[in-house]
Amino acid sequence: MYFGRYKAWAGRRRAAVTATDQATADSAAAETDLAEVSAPLEQFVVKPLIPLHLGSYNISYTNSALLMTIIVALIMLLLVGATSRRALVPSRLQSLAELSYEFVIGMVRQEIGDEGIAFFPLVFSIFMFVLFANFIGLIPFSFSVTGQIVVTATLAIFVIVLCTIVGFVRHGVHFFHFFLPPGAPLYMAPVIIPIEVISYLSRPVSLSIRLFANMMAGHTMMAVFAGFTLTLGIFGFFPIAINVAMFGLEVIVCALQAYVFAILTVLYLRDAIHMH
Amino acid sequence: MVAPPRPGGGRGVRLRVRSMSESGPPDPLKRLGEQIDKVRLQARKGERKGGDVTSGGALGFGLRVSIEMVSALIVGVGLGWLADHFLGSRPWGIIAGFLLGSAAGFANVFRAVQGMGRPPPRGGHGHGSSDGG
Repeated sequence: MYFGRYKAWAGRRRAAVTATDQATADSAAAETDLAEVSAPLEQFVVKPLIPLHLGSYNISYTNSALLMTIIVALIMLLLVGATSRRALVPSRLQSLAELSYEFVIGMVRQEIGDEGIAFFPLVFSIFMFVLFANFIGLIPFSFSVTGQIVVTATLAIFVIVLCTIVGFVRHGVHFFHFFLPPGAPLYMAPVIIPIEVISYLSRPVSLSIRLFANMMAGHTMMAVFAGFTLTLGIFGFFPIAINVAMFGLEVIVCALQAYVFAILTVLYLRDAIHMH
Repeated sequence: MVAPPRPGGGRGVRLRVRSMSESGPPDPLKRLGEQIDKVRLQARKGERKGGDVTSGGALGFGLRVSIEMVSALIVGVGLGWLADHFLGSRPWGIIAGFLLGSAAGFANVFRAVQGMGRPPPRGGHGHGSSDGG
């Protein structure tokens, strides 16, 4: 019954869409140029650069993969290049590398303590990857890898699976107490356990959506304002001014979101290592 | 702040080293290390005091809280839908999932507001109010 109603609705909608399509087809021809320029979501399209197929899977080398390769190469270049000389008085590049290292290790040590040092390489890799992906996404005509929910969700799922494994390795069956807080009465267990399980499973969702939404919203907004620049003609300077201000904001958001992703990774690891 | 390009920076340091060795202390590096340790200790204390994880203004905080709420709902309704799909209990799974998901969302929001994901210092679970979350 529901389905029938949905079908009717979809049919009506399709008819309406085709009608408007025909009506606007003539006027649209004149505006296609502008529409193409100002399509704000086009920047998120993943295009295959080298088409590859493995069986029925599409494993093409895409622009997203290219950007990720560039990001990893840049991080390697920065860290290896900056620390190769190991001067006592660091150069700018070396102090950049040292600052990022100190920042992340301080975060890990402060939140988890000395047991957390084992996870420092992971947290540092995640932080640097997200930071570079965010910043490189800001360069015009590049591609925002962290604006793809596939990428952020993969990172988040990896983090959460790791946390669960760490929790079970360190605490064994006792880790199930994670889902029944100490002090809760036993008769509340049938309600509390599902809530806690959902709460636990919502961590990767919120972790991935937060980064993805921030990146996508910022880039879309900038593209929309850039589109206004073309349509407003002589008043186009106004959206440009807004975009300049927004670019500054985006720089902050990029750094902040990388930090948030890293600190939440650390907090989830801490929860798995020291339960409650 | 940032060290000047290599030759200049090196000369500056060497000059300072010479003047220090004249006035007495034999190991300026040791003093530098002590000073760094002191500053680092102070910085760490400051961080502890105003430890505001994931700060980013009110807007960022609002966004974070709303994402916590929505993600729990997504998971709850998703699990309910899956249960319906495999058990054939059409409306009830989604209803229960929605209710549990919103409860989990409130729990998430409560935790996020309570300490921005940071529980009160450990040492006894005597905080009665924090258990109910």
